[in-house]
Amino acid sequence: MSKHNVSRRQFLNYTLTGVGGFMAAGMLMPMVRFAIDPVLSADKGGDYVATKQKVGELTTEPTRVDFSFKQVDGWYESEETNTAWVYKTDDGKIVALSPICKHLGCTVGWNTDKTNPNQFFCPCHYGRYTKDGMNVKGTPPVSPLDVFDTKEKDGILYLGQLKPHGEA
Amino acid sequence: MKWTAKDLDMYMQSKEYVDTVLIPLVPLSFKGQMKQTGSMNEFLTILSLEIEKQMKGRILLLPTFHYFSDEMDKVERLKGWVNEVKENKFEHVFLLTSDFEWKKEERELENNLVWIPAIPLEGLEIEQAREMINQQVLQILDIFSYNWKNEKK
Repeated sequence: MSKHNVSRRQFLNYTLTGVGGFMAAGMLMPMVRFAIDPVLSADKGGDYVATKQKVGELTTEPTRVDFSFKQVDGWYESEETNTAWVYKTDDGKIVALSPICKHLGCTVGWNTDKTNPNQFFCPCHYGRYTKDGMNVKGTPPVSPLDVFDTKEKDGILYLGQLKPHGEA
Repeated sequence: MKWTAKDLDMYMQSKEYVDTVLIPLVPLSFKGQMKQTGSMNEFLTILSLEIEKQMKGRILLLPTFHYFSDEMDKVERLKGWVNEVKENKFEHVFLLTSDFEWKKEERELENNLVWIPAIPLEGLEIEQAREMINQQVLQILDIFSYNWKNEKK
């Protein structure tokens, strides 16, 4: 036996304080976490995805750029591949257009219609867009192609949020 | 468009633009061919989804037509499907398969049978597999475009 004996009262005090402390912490922690949650959550809007495209290799001719990202689709997470048509304007600005036709969602190609060269062409219902993504009047699409936010980092092209034409 | 509630909503709103149905044909077997049928299933599932992605606005992708390899009335059953589809105002019905058996029935089916050998995807790197699928998709899209252009207007 040690010299310092713990009385029954002391023992109960210690255990109660200990257990009570744990319980209080267990209750308070989630509350604190909830309270400061907005600070901790990552800024989803600023997500940029790296592509394999070097910015220096871009020309004024639209090129197909594939990039993949993780997408959570209700039940499972999958690796989604997406495409963009990217080119440089004459004053060096990078334009990245979504290939999804605004009519019914087919994938448009660049310069694939021989009778209308240098336009984006949708093979489903022959919709057409000019190089800057504007829909050609008289073809089915009623609005211009969506535009990706773009960013350059270490010479590599990064693509961000998809926005309606004119807002990017 | 896929056979999902969301896509079918879209279909019902834009019926006049969707004139093509794609049906993947996948065999099942518990015998020696079991593994091959698995490969075909994987390959055709991915391939048909990719095609649907490219041509969303004009193609309705039906759920896969499954049958057992030695099933007697599979041809009749498929014809039933095709007739049902045609009665619902679809001008083009494409059948997509890797099963060679259908090639023999091609004449009787009177539809556009697209036979494409299955690539065993399980042994490939994801990048390679994607590349190969993309090439196949492009070829099949050519067939579709060709048929659409030659339809009577």
